[in-house]
Order: sequence, then C-alpha cells, then structure tokens
Amino acid sequence: MDSSKPSVFIVDDDASVRDAISNLLESVGLQAETFGSADEFMAARRANAHGCLVLDVMLPGTRGLEFQEVLKQAGITIPIIFITAHGDIPMTSKAMRAGAIEFLAKPFPKEDLLAAIHRGLKLDSVKREERAEIAALQACFAELTPREREVMDLVVTGMINKQIAGQLGISEVTVKIHRRQVMEKMKADSLADLVRMSDKIKAGVRH
Amino acid sequence: MEDLATAAASQKKAKSLIRRFGLAFIFVIAALIPELFVVKHFFPYPFLFLFFGAVMASAWFGGMTAGLFAVVLSILAVDYLFIPPLNSFVINAAAGIYLAAFVVCALVASWVSSSKKKSEEALKETRDQLEMLVTERTSALMKTEAELARLSRILSMGELTASIAHEIKQPLTALVTNGHACLEWLSASPPNLEKARQTAERIIQDGTRAGTVLSRIRALFKKEPPAKDWLDMNEVIQELMVLLRAESQRLHVSMRTELTHSLPKVKGDRVQLQQVVLNLMMNGIDAMTSMNGLSKELVVRSWKQSANEIGVGIEDNGVGLSAEITEKIFDPFFTTKSQGIGMGLSISRSIIESHEGKLWASARPSGGTIFQFTVPIQSQDSNG
Repeated sequence: MDSSKPSVFIVDDDASVRDAISNLLESVGLQAETFGSADEFMAARRANAHGCLVLDVMLPGTRGLEFQEVLKQAGITIPIIFITAHGDIPMTSKAMRAGAIEFLAKPFPKEDLLAAIHRGLKLDSVKREERAEIAALQACFAELTPREREVMDLVVTGMINKQIAGQLGISEVTVKIHRRQVMEKMKADSLADLVRMSDKIKAGVRH
Repeated sequence: MEDLATAAASQKKAKSLIRRFGLAFIFVIAALIPELFVVKHFFPYPFLFLFFGAVMASAWFGGMTAGLFAVVLSILAVDYLFIPPLNSFVINAAAGIYLAAFVVCALVASWVSSSKKKSEEALKETRDQLEMLVTERTSALMKTEAELARLSRILSMGELTASIAHEIKQPLTALVTNGHACLEWLSASPPNLEKARQTAERIIQDGTRAGTVLSRIRALFKKEPPAKDWLDMNEVIQELMVLLRAESQRLHVSMRTELTHSLPKVKGDRVQLQQVVLNLMMNGIDAMTSMNGLSKELVVRSWKQSANEIGVGIEDNGVGLSAEITEKIFDPFFTTKSQGIGMGLSISRSIIESHEGKLWASARPSGGTIFQFTVPIQSQDSNG
C-alpha cells in the first residue's frame, strides 16, 4: 500500500459487498482497504490516515452512526460516506446532520459512489492542508514573546499604535518594535494577512 | 314403479308388525310359564309382576302397539288362568277390581316403557346428528387452521420485510458494483482480462447468492399441504439465522447458536417447523426490544434430548414471563404485544403437537425466557 496516496476505507460486514466496492475502486485506479467492522478499522489505526471512509450503517458491534459519533468525539475528521440496505429518512438526516458526505441506498449507481468518494477525498485533502497551515501558524505563534502576543491581539482588533501604547502602558515606539517583530515572526505580509492568521489560530484552538 | 314401492313398503310394514306382535307374544309366554310354575308349586296367590315385565319389554322393543298387544294378552292370560273361577273368562265383582288394577298398571307400564324408549331414540338421533356436525366442523376447522398458520407465517414475514429486503440487496449491491468494475477492467487500455474474469466469477457468485435467498423465502410462503420429510433441524435454524440477521442488527440484538453437531434427522414438515422456530426467535427478539442499555442476546440451541427425541431451545434475556402468563401464552388470541394477533404460540404448539412433540416455556434463571420444544426421531423403518 502506498501511504502517500489517499485511501478509501471500506467498512461493511458483508464480505462480498466490501470486496465488490474495493474491486470497483481498484478498477478506476483508487486505493482501497476493507474492514469487517468499525472495531477492526480502529484496531488497524487507519482513522488518521489520508482518505475517506465508506461505512455501512448496519454494522455488528459499533454501528455506523455511533461510529460517526465516536470519530467526531475523538477529533478524527475523516469524511464519511454511508451506505445502507435499510436506509430510512430519519437515519439519513441524522447522518447528514452529523456531517456525512453522502448517504447511499444499496444498490447504488456507480457514479454516485465515485462522485461521493471524490468529494470525500477532496474534502480530506483540503482539510489536511488547512490543518497543516494552522499547525505552521501555531508554530510561529509559539515563537512570540508574551508581550508580542499581547500586541498582536490588540493589532488585529484594528487599534492603532497609539491606542495600543495607551492600553498596555508602554511607549508608541516600543509598540512599533513589537509590531515589526510580530509581522516578521508570523511571516505576515500585511495587517489583513495577520488578521486572517489570528482567526485561523483561534479557530484551530477551538477545534 | 310407485305402486311397487308402496307395496314393498306396506309389506315391510306388515312384516314389522308381525315381528312386533310375535315379540309381545313371546314375552308374555315367557312371563306366563314361571308364573304358572310359582302358582302351582309355591303359593296360590298370583304375583303378576312378571307380566308387567313382559309388557315393558314388549313396549321397549316393539313400541306402543306391541306394548298394548302384550297388555291384552296378559289380561286374557291373567283372567283365564289366575282369576277365579279358573280356566274361564268369567269375572266376578271382587276379581273385577283386581283385574282393573292390573289393567291400569299394565297400561301405565306399557306407556312409560314405550315413551322412555321413544325419547331415548330421539336422543340417539340427535347425538348422531351432532356427531356428524362435529366431524364436519372439525375438518373445516383443520382447513382453517392450516390457512391461519399460513397467514400467520405471511404476517411474520411481513414484519421481516425489511430484513428480507436487506438480505437481497446485499448480494445485488455486490453484483451491480462488480458489474461496473468488470466494465472498467475491460475498458482499461490495455484491458485487464484477468481482473475482468475474476470479477465476472464474483458476479456469478453474487447472483447465485441472491437466488438462494429468494428461494428460501419462497419456500416459507408456499401454499402446499403439509408434507413430512427427513430434515436436519440445525439446517432449519441456520437458514433462519441468515433471514433474521438484518432484523436483529436493526434492533441491536446479538444472535448466536449452540448447535449439537451430527444431530439425528427428524421426520417433519420443513415449512411448519421453520415457522415455529421463526416465531419463537421473533418473540424472543420482541421481548428484548423494550429494554434499554442492557445487552440483548438471543441464543438458539439444539441437543439430543434422549435416544428418540431431539430438543431445540430459544433463549432471550428479555422482560421474562410471570408465572400466571406462562400458562396463558399458548392460548389462542392471547397476546402481550400491541400489534400481535396472539396466534403465533398457539399455532406453534399445535404444529409441534402434530409432530408428536412438546412445546413449553420457562423462566431463564438469569432473566428472560426459554422456549423449548422436542421432536421425536422416528426409527428408520417407519420411513415409508
């Protein structure tokens, strides 16, 4: 298995179904891995791997929707495509509300599955880039001194140097020096850039 | 033709009349002989009770006419042989009262006897009619019962529709998906023939599996007269495990079997026995659905009960049955479910009884209920 390439993880208790899906994905050049249950998938520690998840709703043991919740609680954001031979509307809406990419009733058209998988993989890579960016920003932010962080927090609110100096009880010149340090350490090109970074860091902390 | 028939009828009537009168005559003679003997050898006072006997017997066997004839004969015999002056039909005043009393008693005896006989005959006729009616109704009932069993089977299949649909959709999904994959392998450049061939083989397997599921379900719906055949109970149980898998998963019930290997085959109706096991399994699942949080487990066991019986048990850890309900659950129309008709267990019991087995329920020591039934293993030579 090529770990640099994204994978589609198929979790279905019916071997013939998961093998068929894996066969189809392989035939269109996608990398697939199959699991008989949610626990098997967790045991293989693939939850953080690159890719998306095709998950049967009616799994023995930990069920599809429960598993979605478990992953969410654990902060694992792998996109999920649900498949089911039972599908009813309450189940579908619950899964979609919880952030599923798609909910497909078996037997599903090939196009729907592949479209959903491509969307899932795209979303995963976007999210991954975002996370990498946030991680990089957080690393930069960690370089700032406590005073510099204070200055940055006030700068992004739109205060001018004089106001900041007044607020922190320091001279305007000192504020200017701190401000230049912040822009340098955060690798920000402009004030707008810095504001965006600050938002991302805060959002990243929240997540 | 008609005249002939009337003649034959009247001839028959005359014949029966002669027979009746003859009968009365014989009874009276039979009474007369011991009477004469008694009068001659023991005491001279005539005890005429035997004549009442003769009258009653004649009325009983010959009807009112024969009874009256016996009365007349008895009067003549009594008057001639026992009332002085003897050997004469002359009657004096004193003897007249005596004779009159005898006549009244004889008439009453004749009337009582013949009417008793008549009412008894009427009773017998009614009873015969009733018996015929019962036989008729019983056969109608048996037919209805068979139809009811089929309907209840269809009802339980109705509850299982989702599960059945699931069992068919799974292989169909695999089949359709493999079909697409097969086309992809073929349209690759260069075409991957080895992969395409493997995929085509899988398609065949998937199709075969869907077919098997369907024919198994069809067998349960079939409207056929019960037919007993040699069958393996373990096989019956395993087929149902497949059928109920999706349903039990939907309701968060885990199912497992503990089957005794190489269980002797039993002679029985596959559809009917499958219905019983299906019923008991679905009851078990139903008994557990209302419970929250606890693990729900349905266990199906089979064992060799004795040298000539096998046993099957279905255990749940559900709400359980109270002692007074355990007695009632097999009654028709008794149900604890809001959506049941209460026929399942009653039909199941009658099916098991028609297989000469027994079905009963008991409390499971660790909570829940065990339903068990036995089916006799018939000796090989009874396989006709």
